[in-house]
Amino acid sequence: MTELPLFDLETRLGRLSDVDRDIGSLAAGGAGCLFATFVLFVLNSTLAVIPLIGFLAVTGYGWYAHQAETARALTFLATASTILILGLITVYVFVEALPVLQRMGVRLFGFTEPVEVFGVTLIPSVESYWSTSQHVYSLIPMIWGTFVTTLIATAIAAPLGIAAALFLAEIAPPLVRETVKPGVEILAGIPSIVYGYLGFVVLNTFLYENLEMANLGSLFLVGLVIGLMALPTVVSVADDALTSVPDAMRDGAVAMGLTEWQTMKSITLPAALSGVSAAVLLGIGRAVGETMAATVILGHSQVLPDPLQDVFDNTETLTSLIASQYGNANGLHMNALFTAGVVLFVTVLVLSIAARRIELRMDRKLGGGQ
Amino acid sequence: MSYTAESELVVDNTSTAERLASAVVGLGLVTFVFSLVGVTQVVTAETTILGISLYDFLAGGLLLMGVGTVSLGIGSRTGVFNTSPDATPGAVTAALFGLGAFALAGLVASQSLGLGTVGWLLGATLVGGVTFAGVALAPEDIGSTLPPGVAAIGVAVAILAGIITPAFAWEPEGFSATLTGSMAIPLLLAASTLVTMWGGAKAYEGYGSKGRQTAAYLLVGINAVSIIAVLVALLLFIASKGIGPAFEGFSLVPFEWPFVTNGYSFRPEVVNGVFPAIMGTIWLVIGAVITGVPVAVAAAIFLTEYAEQGRFVGAVEIATNGLWSTPSVVYGLFGYAFLIPRLGGTTSLISGMLVLGFMLMPLCLITSREAIKAVPDEYRDASAALGVSRWETIRSVVLPAAMPGILTGVILGVGRIAGETAPILLVMAGGLRDDAPNVLGSFEFISSPPFVANDALLESAPALPYQLYATITAGVSAENAAAFGWATAFVLLVVVLSFYALGIASRLYFRRRLNA
Repeated sequence: MTELPLFDLETRLGRLSDVDRDIGSLAAGGAGCLFATFVLFVLNSTLAVIPLIGFLAVTGYGWYAHQAETARALTFLATASTILILGLITVYVFVEALPVLQRMGVRLFGFTEPVEVFGVTLIPSVESYWSTSQHVYSLIPMIWGTFVTTLIATAIAAPLGIAAALFLAEIAPPLVRETVKPGVEILAGIPSIVYGYLGFVVLNTFLYENLEMANLGSLFLVGLVIGLMALPTVVSVADDALTSVPDAMRDGAVAMGLTEWQTMKSITLPAALSGVSAAVLLGIGRAVGETMAATVILGHSQVLPDPLQDVFDNTETLTSLIASQYGNANGLHMNALFTAGVVLFVTVLVLSIAARRIELRMDRKLGGGQ
Repeated sequence: MSYTAESELVVDNTSTAERLASAVVGLGLVTFVFSLVGVTQVVTAETTILGISLYDFLAGGLLLMGVGTVSLGIGSRTGVFNTSPDATPGAVTAALFGLGAFALAGLVASQSLGLGTVGWLLGATLVGGVTFAGVALAPEDIGSTLPPGVAAIGVAVAILAGIITPAFAWEPEGFSATLTGSMAIPLLLAASTLVTMWGGAKAYEGYGSKGRQTAAYLLVGINAVSIIAVLVALLLFIASKGIGPAFEGFSLVPFEWPFVTNGYSFRPEVVNGVFPAIMGTIWLVIGAVITGVPVAVAAAIFLTEYAEQGRFVGAVEIATNGLWSTPSVVYGLFGYAFLIPRLGGTTSLISGMLVLGFMLMPLCLITSREAIKAVPDEYRDASAALGVSRWETIRSVVLPAAMPGILTGVILGVGRIAGETAPILLVMAGGLRDDAPNVLGSFEFISSPPFVANDALLESAPALPYQLYATITAGVSAENAAAFGWATAFVLLVVVLSFYALGIASRLYFRRRLNA
């Protein structure tokens, strides 16, 4: 029924004729059928197929009789489905996580020592971080693992990526740029499992032998591999941000007698800063959500490294926790894995909204200046 | 008389300095490349060049560079070389050199001299502080050549004199790793070479803002070239490992390519292949395109052609970006919780298709929207002026014009989802198999709802990325397992990167045609 206002444009002519009434009933019928299909599917009933056939029939007749209006209604439905899918993901991941969220409460982020501020216990202690037999689940080791790998990956991808983007966008001759840029974009497509395989078969043993490590697999290697993986993406997006800075700004600086490098440092980079930081945030988002490389490289132990800063120790990240344990998980254990999903989902959503905000500001700034 | 003579003298002197500086940079490039290769242990201390062991050879080069850089600085200060340095090298340079000196001095004090925490901290702070103050106060030519030159000479002497040998081992406290000499020496050489080259490049242009530009360009260029070299080396490495097993038993006439046309049969006499996985990936892509692309294009049409900027569009944009950035493993969890119980209760091909379709949707929506936006308004106006209705305009003018852009987006999106492993892991699984999923042949009509059944869609199917993961979990130590994995990785890489290459090529082609 919500589609009805859409037809205002058509009804504006004021002719509430039979045709309009026909369209109105069609829209109501189609919407009703679709809604019934959705409800029945969510209720897990095979009967969902009956209203689906009804919907298809209504759409088919609508397409035959009133193509323009039907097309408009269908495109609206498609648009609304983006919100619906995000809503479904949010609801289902949260609902599955709920039993453990209720059971653990703030202790989901608990340490083995209680967290106290001025003698007030903020987070009570947990007996162990991750025990499937006692159903004690604290995400702290995994959050630490994700944090450390993301930090290492960003420390590699951000400075090197931005510098390479600067080279591509500002320094390289056009011919080099035109051949290298597509190459970098293709390299951005290397699937993460391939990096993971390389890390698992080659790099793990290489570091184990050459750094005389105590164990195979380390947060350090995961961070290194993810950083390498995120590099082409950061280069490509940062390059786009740099090239979108209007030439007039550069010309002004050069006319003032600045060298090209000074122009880059003091004009181009600051002007593109928001776009470049959006590129970095994007890279961070990718690093946080990267699953396969971490899963195959790490040795999976759900404890904090001892001592904490030991990045060569073997712990776990949020993503690799899910990927390595879903197979033998059920009941509360599976719900616990969903809490890791919730933390990931929320983190990346916040990052994405921040990146979007920054990008919009950049558009306004550069667009408004012209 | 004197004027011409002097001028000639100046030209001559400048070129001497330039030649010296180019020698430093050139030597540096060679040393840097060898050091970088040295980090990967492809060349080690046992490698000899002209009868000298590699590390000594590189250290000799570094020593020459150090001496050259120091003489460039001193020559400029004493007026032998004609230069135009600024008053100081700047606070940033001073701070970086100070930090470097702090780290070097700290390592020497704690490791070689064996001082305690207080001792090395005090010594390092002292050396770092003096370096910082010295560089900050010194004229630019001295400040930007002397510290790197001296450091280079120091590092080179330490290696040549055998203070740091491949047997050297430093176990930092609180880390379960040891920095061995065979890793430390190339790393130290590479870092020291970079800084010295920077000083040499500055001297080449006679310091000042031009010198800084040249030096910065050098470092930025080396960085860009190294990144691409590393990534390309990675591709070549995988290809070199994978091509052999992937083309085992290959023949053109009669056409035979067992790795691509066989299944995984567990029989020793037959070449194990990835045919089922390739078919699985193809079905996944087809299913995802059918679910994701029409919805994405329709939504893009609505957003660009019908909707007014408002709260609804804002919400859709947030949702699209949210979907776009949601980690793939969360999609997998969603599929596990929502789709699997409603589609047969087990991991299945159709769940994989739908989840990948949901992932593909935002990717295609964003690119399709851009493509439709890029259609010039003149097209729409001209069509409207001819009395064509809005929907007819969209169907026969806007969509055809935007089609190349939409297709490009679809191809790039497909490339991305074809390599996804994490969601498949949770909703589809399907390990090493001998037979490919038979989707078309499994359709059946039944009398109870949902009236159509397809067993092939409702059971798990293999897919290339998951197959690679399965190879790892099955253990690469098994006979031929590693080779099978490399070949799978190679095929997966070829499939995914061809999608990317195709998408990018078509984008370039249409962009060029649009601009022409």
